[in-house]
Amino acid sequence: MTTTFEDLNAGDTIDGPSFAVSRESIRLFCDASLDYNPLHLDDDYMKGNFGKTNFGGVIMHGMNNFGLISRMITDWAYPAGAIHRRLETRWVKPVWPGDTIQPTGIVKSKQVTAKSRWVLIDVMVRNQAGEKVATGEAMVEFPTAVRP
Amino acid sequence: MAQAQISETQAFETDFWKDANLRKMWDDIVPGEPRKTIPYTLTKEAIELYCRSVGETHPLYFDEAYARTTLYGGLIAPPSIHILLMFSCTPADDWMRSPGTVNAGQSWSYNIPARPGDIITLQARALDKFIKRERLFVVHDNVFFNQRGEVICSGRGWTIRPQ
Repeated sequence: MTTTFEDLNAGDTIDGPSFAVSRESIRLFCDASLDYNPLHLDDDYMKGNFGKTNFGGVIMHGMNNFGLISRMITDWAYPAGAIHRRLETRWVKPVWPGDTIQPTGIVKSKQVTAKSRWVLIDVMVRNQAGEKVATGEAMVEFPTAVRP
Repeated sequence: MAQAQISETQAFETDFWKDANLRKMWDDIVPGEPRKTIPYTLTKEAIELYCRSVGETHPLYFDEAYARTTLYGGLIAPPSIHILLMFSCTPADDWMRSPGTVNAGQSWSYNIPARPGDIITLQARALDKFIKRERLFVVHDNVFFNQRGEVICSGRGWTIRPQ
């Protein structure tokens, strides 16, 4: 179903893709992002403490959440001719191999400016236990004239 | 400077421990001071690998014939490609690679898409540093440009430093 700016209402939801996290998915993200921080690779290192934090084992890249939220927003926006303009995220819990995560969005508000139209979307990522692992906000432009 | 030149010609070093002693600690990082960066040519293969890692399947990223029919006029990279660009546009001694660097959150604004073949440059710096609940934070700010000097995207990140 194609979304139009006029039809959107606060509270409308967007379902993002379910994503199974594994050592292999994390390793692939290392290769794709060139982020080889041992947080994502080295179990022995991850047994230690990070200041006040102990993760207990390798964790997924926070930016993997970001990439999934971005994928949800663009897949929702492209068919409408809309443009993903901004994404702000905060990581609230680590994600471990074996977790399954899923981003979702809820339309928060719409705004018309002098030259365009904008939709603000609350976004979050939850794990299989329903716990929030990431939260944030996205902004999508619905141009009045066609331009990329 | 010598380090930047070496990094440009060598393959990407995946052992982040190797140059750990060359990287700035929290104490050394000066907010406002530019980070060393290196130009990077974005390839179709790099975009496809990134797409695979997050399950992106949209034909705008893979199918040239389809992409030509859209308002984008050709293949583009997903907006979140800056995740890769952050590491491909910085040298091995950049403090973002310090083992144990924890990403606390990021915010990005998107102007125009990056495309395969783009020669991408980065202007980056630490913008702020602070201590909160005994943790050492650094805020970094970044702008990626294409070969025509057009802004692709700009963003900020909050990291917790290992030392």
